[in-house]
Amino acid sequence: MSTKTTTVSVPVQEAINILELRAAELESQLHSDVRSMLSSWEKKKASYQGEHFTYSVRGKEIRVDNYSESLSHTRVSKISLPQFKDWGEIVRWCMQENVPGEFPFTAGVYPFKRMNEDPTRMFAGEGGPERTNKRFHYLSKGMPAARLSTAFDSVTLYGEDPDHRPDIYGKIGNAGVSIASLDDAKKLYSGFDLCSPTTSVSMTINGPAPMILAFFMNAAIDQECEKVIRERSLEPEIEKKISEMYSAKGLLRPLYKHGDGSVDLPDGNKGLGLLLLGVTGDKVLPPDVYAECRQRALQNVRGTVQADILKEDQAQNTCIFSTEFALRMMGDVQEYFINEGIRNFYSVSISGYHIAEAGANPITQLAFTLSNGFTYVEYYLSRGMNIDDFAPNLSFFFSNGVDPEYSVIGRVARKIWAKAMKQMYGGNERSQMLKYHIQTSGRSLHAQEIDFNDIRTSLQALYAIYDNCNSLHTNAYDEAITTPTEDSVRRAIAIQLIINRELGLTKNENPIQGAFIIEELTDLVEEAVYTEFKRITERGGVLGAMENMYQRNKIQEESLYYETLKHTGEYPIIGVNTFLSSKGSPTIIPKEVIRSTTDEKEQQITNVHSVQTRSGKETDDALVALRQAAIKNHNIFEALMEAAKVSSLGQMTNALYEVGGQYRRNM
Amino acid sequence: MQSPTPYVPQHKVRIVTAASLFDGHDAAINVMRRIIQATGCEVIHLGHNRSVKEVVECAIQEDVQSIAMTSYQGGHVEYLTYMKRLLVERGAGHIKIFAGGGGTILPTEIDTLHAAGITRVYSPDDGRAMGLQGMINDLVQKSDFVTPLVHASELSTRVFEKDPLAIAQAISSAERGDSNLVAFAIDAKKSPVLGITGTGGAGKSSLTDEIVRRFLLDHPDKTIAVVSVDPSKRKTGGALLGDRIRMNAVSDSRVYMRSFATREANIAINPHVLDAIQILSYARYDLIIVETAGIGQSDSQITDVADVSMYVMTPEYGAASQLEKIDMIDYADIIALNKFDKRGALDALRDVSKQFQRSRLLFDTKIEEMPVYGTIASQFNDPGTNTLYRALNDLLIARCELPWKSNYEITDEMSEKIFIIPPERTRYLAEIVENNRRYDAHVVQQSQLARALWRVRGAIDELSGTHIK
Repeated sequence: MSTKTTTVSVPVQEAINILELRAAELESQLHSDVRSMLSSWEKKKASYQGEHFTYSVRGKEIRVDNYSESLSHTRVSKISLPQFKDWGEIVRWCMQENVPGEFPFTAGVYPFKRMNEDPTRMFAGEGGPERTNKRFHYLSKGMPAARLSTAFDSVTLYGEDPDHRPDIYGKIGNAGVSIASLDDAKKLYSGFDLCSPTTSVSMTINGPAPMILAFFMNAAIDQECEKVIRERSLEPEIEKKISEMYSAKGLLRPLYKHGDGSVDLPDGNKGLGLLLLGVTGDKVLPPDVYAECRQRALQNVRGTVQADILKEDQAQNTCIFSTEFALRMMGDVQEYFINEGIRNFYSVSISGYHIAEAGANPITQLAFTLSNGFTYVEYYLSRGMNIDDFAPNLSFFFSNGVDPEYSVIGRVARKIWAKAMKQMYGGNERSQMLKYHIQTSGRSLHAQEIDFNDIRTSLQALYAIYDNCNSLHTNAYDEAITTPTEDSVRRAIAIQLIINRELGLTKNENPIQGAFIIEELTDLVEEAVYTEFKRITERGGVLGAMENMYQRNKIQEESLYYETLKHTGEYPIIGVNTFLSSKGSPTIIPKEVIRSTTDEKEQQITNVHSVQTRSGKETDDALVALRQAAIKNHNIFEALMEAAKVSSLGQMTNALYEVGGQYRRNM
Repeated sequence: MQSPTPYVPQHKVRIVTAASLFDGHDAAINVMRRIIQATGCEVIHLGHNRSVKEVVECAIQEDVQSIAMTSYQGGHVEYLTYMKRLLVERGAGHIKIFAGGGGTILPTEIDTLHAAGITRVYSPDDGRAMGLQGMINDLVQKSDFVTPLVHASELSTRVFEKDPLAIAQAISSAERGDSNLVAFAIDAKKSPVLGITGTGGAGKSSLTDEIVRRFLLDHPDKTIAVVSVDPSKRKTGGALLGDRIRMNAVSDSRVYMRSFATREANIAINPHVLDAIQILSYARYDLIIVETAGIGQSDSQITDVADVSMYVMTPEYGAASQLEKIDMIDYADIIALNKFDKRGALDALRDVSKQFQRSRLLFDTKIEEMPVYGTIASQFNDPGTNTLYRALNDLLIARCELPWKSNYEITDEMSEKIFIIPPERTRYLAEIVENNRRYDAHVVQQSQLARALWRVRGAIDELSGTHIK
């Protein structure tokens, strides 16, 4: 790396010889990876300094501009690299930080952010499936991709069916959509091609996740069947078959129908998914054709189901089955994904969000979430699954508050995950990449001076975007008091757009790398997570700690600490405990909230009743087969895929209670 | 704001606390129930996701003055008015309902609910104006009354018919000392009583729940009553009656459950449990389970009231010599070694069996035949719990000369934990820490080498008059 240009005196030459010997010795101790790291450093830097950067993803070559130009004609680097000369610094940086897209992925899992796709999810869930479907179409109108994020009502979240019993009735279609059958799922996503690469569906559900997922997968399969039917112009024949089936039973066919009785499809919905409402493709198509459709659907669906039962038991409480049984079903789902080649769907979204919402501080959120993630890894490995077959199906979900640690939460998560995956579990690069969705903290929204909430959300969004999150949801400012309105949601989305498109610094994609405080915080948070890992180990691992309610108690303690400091004013919250307005910043109470209508509720009850009864013995047999699968240790999700065709959510839940045990509350 | 001092109730106030159906938000109700306990009340806490029927049936069986609910998931108007209606329908309109749900309950809805007979819905503004203790004082003060005797004139008939409210009020009357009111029950033929006691945290209530569940399956025509006793706090007089929260089987119509606070320090059994047993016998329950908290010396009181008694413990008792101090091993008919998945379980099974053998001088009987059973109550359909259930059932039949037939299938299997994480892998998180730190150390070491190399190369260049590029 150096060249001689002059001759030197004898003693100097002797010194040089000694030093050369020393250099050779040192060099021999350097790891070969480290040697190539040093020798390629300049080349690496140069690759980010030319006009374009070229890299390949799954065999496809991608070319990205290395610079953008500001109004003042300054060239802003996409990826800015350090000016280190000291090889020690270069080695440390490459091994602990590195550029985005390279191990240990501290700065991000991909080399560059995706172009032209704002990571905006279209979040909806209210009333019956028709109303939510309409809203999905409204939100995705004119957007290049449909990223549908579904909120379910609490009846669905607890795996039960809509009913007239008043304690159930009042909750049907409120704070989320009511989904109790395959018909409901078909209506909910109708008009969106579930197998298109530009559609992805996220479902926020946990306890009954396997059943809801079975509804979704069947809906996608039947959409593929519908496409085949239309391609081959079999509609009249199929229509006739279905009509005969229903008239033989003396029943009316299910309909896509709004609460007000209208059957019009919303703008943008061309009806895909509704042809086979009330039946499944296997009833009307030859087995080989159905099998092809099934395979095509399963291999192409994209999305995420939350299905994280550990955090439910630790923080959020929508557990319905005994934890062990619920975990077993998660394993069955993952196994099914592997067997069927479902590669583009995340089988679990390992969530810290609810842990933070319940009061955990950011370190606890991160430590508990990662420890839960590693628990799934260990469980799936113990069932004989291969790390690289399932790790890419895992995704993460964090909350983003205003605490300083949130500026590095993604960095620390990615780094810890990558190191463990690479070295301990021997996972490949895809397995090493921790991908996460992040949502601004709902707990940091206050019911006083609600206009200030957007400011908090903006700052949290900035943290998240600087930290290279994979997708982001920004809360609406009025969520602390009510269901957000179209206007408030629009403002929330504007926050993301302004940061991504207006804010000049975000043209750079590693803006926080190299800041002293960021590196210091990264080290501190990483160390704190390890300390927590050790505490959990002392309690027998995540499951052992849960038995003694360790996580739950810790979350509660931290919640209380925050509430106390908030109450005393030691922790300042503008417009809440300090800087109050002349009127004392009173709590804002909403005039009215969006609630589902009586018509919608009645329709959901009628529909689910019809699903429960219309298939008669077929339903009974499917439920028996479901219970048998559980008893005989077969794959429960395989049985659920069949049962979901002919039974309701509540029917499946209750059948599984008999063989898996109900959740036992704890205190 | 100065927090008001806790109200001191004049009567024994009992309150059911819960979060509404399909509602997992239990943080607020947990805070509230703690303050209610500290204000001297006996709290029967049901936790989250409770249907109106579950709460109402509990409130009636427990003869409480009030129900305190939280609801954060909507549907509160339907939920609470239904609760009121069900209470009235079942003759328990005197039970007051209190509720809170932060901003999710609108002011207009609060008015609707008050008009519908809900005693008080606390709003966020109430919270700010009154403070937590202030709200609880209001709630407790409004609950500070003697529950009116609904079936006064026909109490015995109603009890005989298993009317839960009548049974509940008969038991309360006895507890208050109105023994003449319940004189009718004195001569009732006593139902078989199974006593369950054990150390705190051994899993008594889970195991009791599993026994109840199996009993209901095994005997489709039989009824069962559960009496559970928890200690009162000496300082406040309040108590957390926490067994119901873990019991999933008790919401069956063939089950009556009543929670007692000891109401005196240092005893494991409320003296009125005997009255309760008489009243429940009069009501012809086929089996009565009495579950008490173990607090050392007085554990064995249970044997005075039980026909068959069971002691629940875990393998985590320390050295074998500790077993010699456990009185109940000498008195219990059956011992459940719960949490059998814990380390040292098989040794514990042997040691406890030996201690049992020694205490009864049963040296002629094989150690395997001692009535000590390893169970994992938390595991669904646990084989050890099945065996235990069958043994209890058989012993009750034999000792009380019962005409029961048990068809409960058991296998020879021992309780074996179906592990989610294999035991040899439980250190996985520590291993990750070690792995990642090893990597970090490697980085430090390599970076130092690289720096040293850089310096040496620099020195060479300096000496040779060249420059590092």
